[in-house]
Amino acid sequence: MSPAFGRGAMTNHMVDLKNTDVALIMGSNMAENHPIGMKWLGEGRRVRGTKIIHVDPRYTRTSVVADVYAPMRSGTDIAFLGGMIKYILDNDLYHKEYVNAYTNAAYLVADEFDFEDGLFSGYNADKRSYDNTTWDYQYDADGTTILKDPTLTNPRCVFELMKKHFSRYDIDSVCKITGTPKNKYLEVLKLFCTTGAPNKVGNIMYAMGITQHTVGSQNVKAFTIVQMLLGNMGRPGGGINALRGENNVQGATDMALLFHIIPGYIDSPMNSKPHKDLLSFVKAVTPGAANVQANNMEEFRAAVAAGIPNSGFKINSSKWVVSLLKSWWGDASKPENDFAYHYLPKREATKNYSHIAMFEAMDKGEIEGLFVMGTNPVVGGPNANKEQTGLSKLKWMVSCDLWLNETAEFWTYAAWERPVENDKVKILSPKDIQTEVFFLPAAAVFEKEGTAAQTGRWVQYRWKGAEPVGDSRSDLWMIDHMARGIMDLYKDSTRPEDEPIKNLTWGYGHGDEPEPILVGHEYSGYTVADNKPISAGFAALKDDGSTACGCWIYCGQMTTKPDGSLDYKPMHRDNVDNSKTGLGLYSNWGWCWPVNRRIIYNRCSIQPDGVTPWPGDDDRVLIRWDAAAGAWVGDDVCDTGKTSPPDKANPFIMRPEGKGCFFAAKGSFKDGPFPEHYEPWESPVRNLMNSQKFNPATKVWEPEKLGKVEEYPFIGTTYRVVEHWQTGALTRNLPWLAELMPNMFVEISEELGKLRGIDNGDKIIMSTTRGDIEAIACVTKRIKPYIVDGKEVHMVGALWQFGFKGYATGDPANRLTPHVGDANTMIPEYKAWLCDIRRA
Amino acid sequence: MKVTRRQFFKVTGASAAAIAAVDLGFDLEPAAAAARKLRIKNIKPVPTVCPYCASGCGLVVYSERDAAGKFVRLLSVEGDPDNPINRGAACAKGAAMFNLREIYDAETGEQIINPKRVKKPLYRAPGSDKWEEKSWEWMMAEIAKRVKDTRDRSFIHKEKIADGSEVIVNRTEKIASLGGSGLDNEEAYLHCKLMRALGVVYLETQARI
Amino acid sequence: MARSLTNLYDVSKCTACRGCLVACKDSNQLPAVIEPFKGNYATHEDTNGNTYTLIRFIEHEDPVDGVRWNFLKWQCMHCFDAECMKVCPKNAYTKTEWGATIHDEDKCIGCQYCTYACPFGIPKYRKRTDTVTKCTLCYERVEEGLKPACVRTCPSGALTFGYRDELLQQAEERVKMLRANGFPRATIYGKLELGGTNKIYVLTDTPDKFGLPVEPKVSANTWVWQDWVQPYAGWLIPIALAASATSFVTNRILDSKKKNHAEGGHE
Repeated sequence: MSPAFGRGAMTNHMVDLKNTDVALIMGSNMAENHPIGMKWLGEGRRVRGTKIIHVDPRYTRTSVVADVYAPMRSGTDIAFLGGMIKYILDNDLYHKEYVNAYTNAAYLVADEFDFEDGLFSGYNADKRSYDNTTWDYQYDADGTTILKDPTLTNPRCVFELMKKHFSRYDIDSVCKITGTPKNKYLEVLKLFCTTGAPNKVGNIMYAMGITQHTVGSQNVKAFTIVQMLLGNMGRPGGGINALRGENNVQGATDMALLFHIIPGYIDSPMNSKPHKDLLSFVKAVTPGAANVQANNMEEFRAAVAAGIPNSGFKINSSKWVVSLLKSWWGDASKPENDFAYHYLPKREATKNYSHIAMFEAMDKGEIEGLFVMGTNPVVGGPNANKEQTGLSKLKWMVSCDLWLNETAEFWTYAAWERPVENDKVKILSPKDIQTEVFFLPAAAVFEKEGTAAQTGRWVQYRWKGAEPVGDSRSDLWMIDHMARGIMDLYKDSTRPEDEPIKNLTWGYGHGDEPEPILVGHEYSGYTVADNKPISAGFAALKDDGSTACGCWIYCGQMTTKPDGSLDYKPMHRDNVDNSKTGLGLYSNWGWCWPVNRRIIYNRCSIQPDGVTPWPGDDDRVLIRWDAAAGAWVGDDVCDTGKTSPPDKANPFIMRPEGKGCFFAAKGSFKDGPFPEHYEPWESPVRNLMNSQKFNPATKVWEPEKLGKVEEYPFIGTTYRVVEHWQTGALTRNLPWLAELMPNMFVEISEELGKLRGIDNGDKIIMSTTRGDIEAIACVTKRIKPYIVDGKEVHMVGALWQFGFKGYATGDPANRLTPHVGDANTMIPEYKAWLCDIRRA
Repeated sequence: MKVTRRQFFKVTGASAAAIAAVDLGFDLEPAAAAARKLRIKNIKPVPTVCPYCASGCGLVVYSERDAAGKFVRLLSVEGDPDNPINRGAACAKGAAMFNLREIYDAETGEQIINPKRVKKPLYRAPGSDKWEEKSWEWMMAEIAKRVKDTRDRSFIHKEKIADGSEVIVNRTEKIASLGGSGLDNEEAYLHCKLMRALGVVYLETQARI
Repeated sequence: MARSLTNLYDVSKCTACRGCLVACKDSNQLPAVIEPFKGNYATHEDTNGNTYTLIRFIEHEDPVDGVRWNFLKWQCMHCFDAECMKVCPKNAYTKTEWGATIHDEDKCIGCQYCTYACPFGIPKYRKRTDTVTKCTLCYERVEEGLKPACVRTCPSGALTFGYRDELLQQAEERVKMLRANGFPRATIYGKLELGGTNKIYVLTDTPDKFGLPVEPKVSANTWVWQDWVQPYAGWLIPIALAASATSFVTNRILDSKKKNHAEGGHE
């Protein structure tokens, strides 16, 4: 989403679902995995007649309550959405004023940019990657102003190129690929595209059904195109809403527990020339700053103050970087030592360190020690047999959890039991495994306190309601004690390489238990001189060392009470809706980033003039320009310069263009500026759209593991149920939930049941090139074979939430899934692969 | 029956000042012969947020405390009626939160601590097929030693980059960290800070899978 | 009599998340009894001593989507004219002013006559307490101003609780709306059945499509009891029962006189 809008987060929030006219749930089983969403869609139905569309390979508990259910073969989302884009353009259903004002439709694209037979210009087949220099705009003579054609007729303008690109996605071709019955597909197109009318707003909700593909990022990109064409971004009831799966995955991402970023979505530094020192680094992470003439930070600061063209709001990056360094290294972070920039680890520029890469390295014996913080790759990791073997090559592992999950006990006899012998799957026993395991028992969520950011970016405080069981401790306590133990070993070191750990600022209260509010204070930001919170938000951060802030997007969540003590806004519990038109903003409940803005890109909720609501949509205006005050006012916090007049106030401030991007220019994607349909890495059919079989820019880690359709004729996919959560560690250990879903099962159609002689309740073996699992068969009418290109194709659906621990047990479905991922994010392709199934 | 207003409870600072939430919209005279009394009557609910999906539903924890205010046991965990996201609702997972700590025994019906919860730090030695209970002090000291040993042996302080110049890179590729999406923000932040200070570059969370 | 309060369940809104089932267990302190998966999401086929409410999952062929997946929340119907109450030899059953049929386990002797008498087969014997038990419409919550646990927890809005006359009106409108929008056989259940119940259903199809008895009937034995036995309570009870019910029930009542709660019975 980031290449289109500038941020990757859910744009709207849960309560806002009630404001939508048409909800498209695609690649999400919302009723099961985010049940509370249904409350708000139900409310929408009651108050405004909201219609619900569900597009999914299976008929699920979500489909039951949808107005329209359309089946779609797993892995064909781009075809499905490409057809929708063509339908919108062909039938002139797009929101014209919106597209003209708020997107890059009019921008002219470089003449060198090209697309042919599934490949964009600049492809290198040997490297399986693109040189993306041609994926750029046309500029004027001085190279800073992008050329535009407001009439949208120039064949090189983004709009025309987009039209041409998607012209191949006609309805018949799409249905041939997706297996969606044509009447159902048309029903979806007609219903959702009604939201192109200025007074209608449509919302798209997605989850892992979209991202867990080799084309996952481009699936989302296709959503962004649809939503910009229909004028649905930045408006209540609209947006593209990534339903996050873990209670604080948003927060953990904000805090940058990911290799490629440091807190606040700043690129993590690399061992390359553009990152060699602080000045180079801030130039590299500030869009448009590459050619800024500055020899030191003072000169760079002056250039920022003067303004950098095509930079967007990220022009402030240097302030975020320096404030982060200052908060981590305190007095050791000084102007004369680049604010200790050199302390930050620099990753190998050409290397990937993502989940799959980590386990590939582990499997080669390249990693010695691993921290496992409440996660369970033996169940949840792709190609789990391989990941489990990888763990056995560690010297030591630290595991924190409430329970001895499958990963903590990967070395036990039970962990290596398999239903069938397979010479490709090595079986180990405890005596073969030399890994030392340190298991740290963690307190449950209500046995400790702290904040969490939910999917709509709302940060809420969780108070402590019970004592930890036995001698279990909060993770905060563990991390604090680990850190202090490690720092103690380095306290007398004089080696320069030990400075990052020796000089690390640490200390959060005087008790044995660290105080969450003091940690929150550090990443919310404070002025160094007086340690007072920066209540004004990140606009007040500086790059001269006078402010410290561990995570700039959280700046402003802490303020001061009248008595001078800290006021942590996530603790606020005022649940009165501050929206005058009843939109359910609840701006005084908790706090949300950025700067408590409840709906991002909300500049789009009003017409370009900043004062006129979209025709017929007065109630869904979030902000408006108050000319007398010279500022944006309204119920929500405006997502544009507060005092920028309407003609200067761009809606997508985190994009260099300031506009929503149909065409994702260079540096955005590794696999193309427009989405294109490719089959999954393992697919039973040929690609009907072009001669590339699968995403040409995706890295193939294990080419020898590619399953052949002759041996593995069926599509395999994985999913969850409402009764269990993720790998099941936190639910299979709860008797009430184990009672509801006690065992691993797979779902197949009655037709496939007949084909393979499998009855409901039979034990089956499901196999891929990666391994085999045993499960119970659930033969159901809810799964039907697909007719793809005239051929009948079957699908086997497997729950992936089981393992050998807990009250509810079964084989992990991820023993079947491949080590292949999205070209951009490396999120594994859990959702579509090839398998076989037989009676056990 | 008389009509009452929904009463909200607010939380200030770190302690919950609360009254039992009423959500019916009308009052009934309690039946004189009621065989059962409401267990959570007059118990202060403590608000928290569900640890499962990221919808962020509020939950309230009711617990029994002794005269000194010391925690004795859980009574119930249910949806927080004041939270605007869920208004008191909870799906099967959220509603099962009580089991995260305590359960009712299937044979006797007795309320006990969930036997699957781990109560002591555990250590598994190389090649061993069992866990050993250890103290926190021992665990923390041993972990610190392993981290230092691995880090120091594998640390890359400086290296030559593509253009031939030498830069400080301060990293280790021998230590990795996985997970954290179940942590609180404060925990995730401190974990990131500690890992990056150690030079860890294999740093990943569930967002990637 | 006070205005009746009712639990309304609208199947067209239910997503079968089973929060109701678990919230019921939390509120009533009921353990889980884990049994293997048999091929249907509903791991409970019926109510039992540890499960007062459950969701049924029933698949049907459908001309539009190929399948229709019907969910049904199943629990005590809280009949106006409750058979369980009539047959209980110990008067363990009472009705609250507002309509909940509640059962006092302290009075129950575990004779299980009510389990046979109930037209829906709801009350169940529970071995560990040697009593019968069932949904109480959370009267202890309701009387303190809280919704029943299942209603409080319902995320989808399928469950509501309130005055029966108002909810019936809502239900009628909802059925009208459903009939006009693709569910021509939508109906209300519990309005007239058995003279009316304090649990009302809005169904998208005929009751049999949800496993509900189309015309629930009171068993013949109950009539004997009601007409002949109850007026002559006391020493007549065992004799009357010997003629009308199973000998197990009779023995239970005789045992209870001897204060001998022996182990046994069905669960």
